[in-house]
Amino acid sequence: MPTDTKRLRGPEESQSPMLFLPPDAQILKASSRDGSRGHADVRPIFARCGLVSQAKGSAYLEAGNTKIICSVYGPRETERKDETDMKSGRLLCDFRLAPFSCLKRGAWIQGNEERDLSVALIESLQPGVCLHRYPRSQIEINVVVLENDGSILAHAVTCASIALADAGIEMYDVVLGCTLRQDGDTCLVDPTFAEESGNWLGGYGENQGRVTVALLPNFNQVSGLHADGEMREDTLTEAVRTCMDGCHKLYPVVQHALLRAVKRKAPPSVK
Amino acid sequence: MAGVELLSDQGYRLDGRKASELRKVQARMGVFAQADGSAYIEQGNTKALAVVYGPHEVRGSRSRTMHDRAVINCQYSMATFSTAERKRRPHGDRKSSEMSLHLKQTFEAAVLTQLYPRSQIDIYVKILQSDGGNYSACVNAATLALVDAGIPMRDYVCACTAGFVEDTPLADLCHAEESGGGTTLALALLPRSRHIALVQMDARLHQDHLDMLMEAAAEACRGLSKVLDGVVRQHLQEVSVLTRD
Amino acid sequence: MASVQVSEAEKVYIMHGVRDDLRVDGRGCEDYRHMVIETDVVSNTDGSAKVSLGHSDILVGVKAEIGKPRALVPDEGYLEFFVDCSANATPEFEGRGGEELGIDLSNTLYKVFNNKHSIDLRSLCICPGEHCWVLYVDVLLLQCDGNLFDAISIAIKAALFNTRIPKVHISEDAEGGKEIELSDDPYDCVRLNVENVPCIVTLCKVGQRHVVDATLQEKACSVASLLLAVTHKGMVTCVRKMGGGSLDPESISEMTETGKRVGKALHAPLMDLLKKEEGLGKNRQKVGFLR
Repeated sequence: MPTDTKRLRGPEESQSPMLFLPPDAQILKASSRDGSRGHADVRPIFARCGLVSQAKGSAYLEAGNTKIICSVYGPRETERKDETDMKSGRLLCDFRLAPFSCLKRGAWIQGNEERDLSVALIESLQPGVCLHRYPRSQIEINVVVLENDGSILAHAVTCASIALADAGIEMYDVVLGCTLRQDGDTCLVDPTFAEESGNWLGGYGENQGRVTVALLPNFNQVSGLHADGEMREDTLTEAVRTCMDGCHKLYPVVQHALLRAVKRKAPPSVK
Repeated sequence: MAGVELLSDQGYRLDGRKASELRKVQARMGVFAQADGSAYIEQGNTKALAVVYGPHEVRGSRSRTMHDRAVINCQYSMATFSTAERKRRPHGDRKSSEMSLHLKQTFEAAVLTQLYPRSQIDIYVKILQSDGGNYSACVNAATLALVDAGIPMRDYVCACTAGFVEDTPLADLCHAEESGGGTTLALALLPRSRHIALVQMDARLHQDHLDMLMEAAAEACRGLSKVLDGVVRQHLQEVSVLTRD
Repeated sequence: MASVQVSEAEKVYIMHGVRDDLRVDGRGCEDYRHMVIETDVVSNTDGSAKVSLGHSDILVGVKAEIGKPRALVPDEGYLEFFVDCSANATPEFEGRGGEELGIDLSNTLYKVFNNKHSIDLRSLCICPGEHCWVLYVDVLLLQCDGNLFDAISIAIKAALFNTRIPKVHISEDAEGGKEIELSDDPYDCVRLNVENVPCIVTLCKVGQRHVVDATLQEKACSVASLLLAVTHKGMVTCVRKMGGGSLDPESISEMTETGKRVGKALHAPLMDLLKKEEGLGKNRQKVGFLR
């Protein structure tokens, strides 16, 4: 087996010291999150377009400590000829968690979790993009999570839709994402990494779970829904509603970011 | 012999068979509705499924098209749970690529490919449970599937393995006999014309014994061809009853 | 995934049928197709099941192997899922063609089982922190005719019901080293409690209504579908929206409700059937593919 000689390799088997920390069971009990945030509040987000100059469109999004950068290339001719669709375009997605983004160092190659996130991202974005306007072409979306502090899928959806808009891809609506972490009767909107993975590392217990919703705000249509854990049906329906409210809260910031990008690209003529 | 005794003094094998006795063969044609042809075979505890698609236009690169005959495309795979030890990948490893190639060579010899120029015939075989004689179960299943698909062949292709223990040839080896380390010969035969479609032997054997071993394998193949013929006839009877007015 | 071409006229026909609660094959909107279930079909496995739903054919084999528990949960075993989209189902899956779908399916299965109650993972523990049972759940797609998820989940439930894990005895030698001994008696084994294993219900939105157990033709008429994993108590363990369309919030809650109802109703007859089949014991004639 070829080994990487430039890197000092650790032992064959090693475990993160984080494992031996006492379980932090108090996180969800705290009445206020990070000082002043209520249970139904999303973290303030910061969004900017046009960071990657080579890409057709790009966006950077920060929500608390979660930092995501996304660039969009295309539309361009499909690479795989046998998959060419004569009627509509294809979205391709490459979702990466940077190796330094999580507590535990990740690998550079795309893992199973990242592939799963790519599929989820495409499923969420597809309803918002006018793909029939781009027959026989593909649009590539590259997402890199620079720091993972929870709710990455939801914020990646928002970030990617801003980047698509920045790239001038025709869309029906922007797509906004929001995650919720259900724990019994309490629910936390837009959870941080600690809240997300809190005290149920060995799987979700009764009525616990995580719901991610992607929303087209102007149509009030849900374009993506992913949930796991174990929840009652009424809890789930309620969680979807809460997530939709969370999505709507992001809308002004996204609008502002897009407006700013448009103004910069085409400055209003001063009379 | 090291360890187990493959042939008792009374002339019985591990599973109680005589030296030239085959395992119980059960087969069924037309297992799947969506494929053009399909068949399932059980030879003792070895279970195989074969599916045939085609003849159809050549898929993928045009360069593979043959202008005077059909291309035969085979894929051999094993279910991950088919062996005692779990397999990591169902196909794509060296052994299964080799097996795919052998199947392709076998059926190129039997199918009348010149009848379908510029087209392709896909044969996919899957081992669901493996207990020795995987190659022969695959060939027999694929033959039935090809018959089910209505693709013209020179003859049935019947395959069987034979081993050689204590100067006695054994027909249709099971896994325990195969892994004993002795000689194993796999033969695919077109029984009527006595043409050999493929023969493969590993481990060492004295030249004088080869004829005896070949004859044992050929005899087993002829036995199998009777069974396969019976299966085909029965299937046709069932189908013709169903479709009669 | 294997797909069919459906013309516009056919689509209109199917959609009008669904509107009037009468589908092309005569079913109502919440009816499943005929289902055939058989367990213990592959003797090389610790548990196996074959399910045919319409023309969709699924074979599931479960193998138990001894492995090392995950560091985070030293007192639990775990499940590994693998979905093999074999070329038998469609020539598109030849070579690496089925890999993408296989990974997608297995990732969803991991999510469905990502909770404490589906399977009692603690019962898979042999020796905390050192040894545990790893259940390899291998799904083999033999034929695709729509609604793969539902068929797979039912096959997995049946295969897990059929799974028998050999009993182990741990003996300690003088130096404190532990030795694991498998029981020689094949009937001396542990069964899994599969009561809480969820079944997946996929609802396809066709026109204004949604249908359960969609065929490929119906799937071609729908832009979005909702996958729900439901336990026998009606708890939802996984939700996923699939397909290129979006859903309005009302239809999501309607579909969740239908999914829960249908899913709950699915469990009781399935368990009855499995118990009945087991009750036959050795008298049962194994059919497998020799129908």
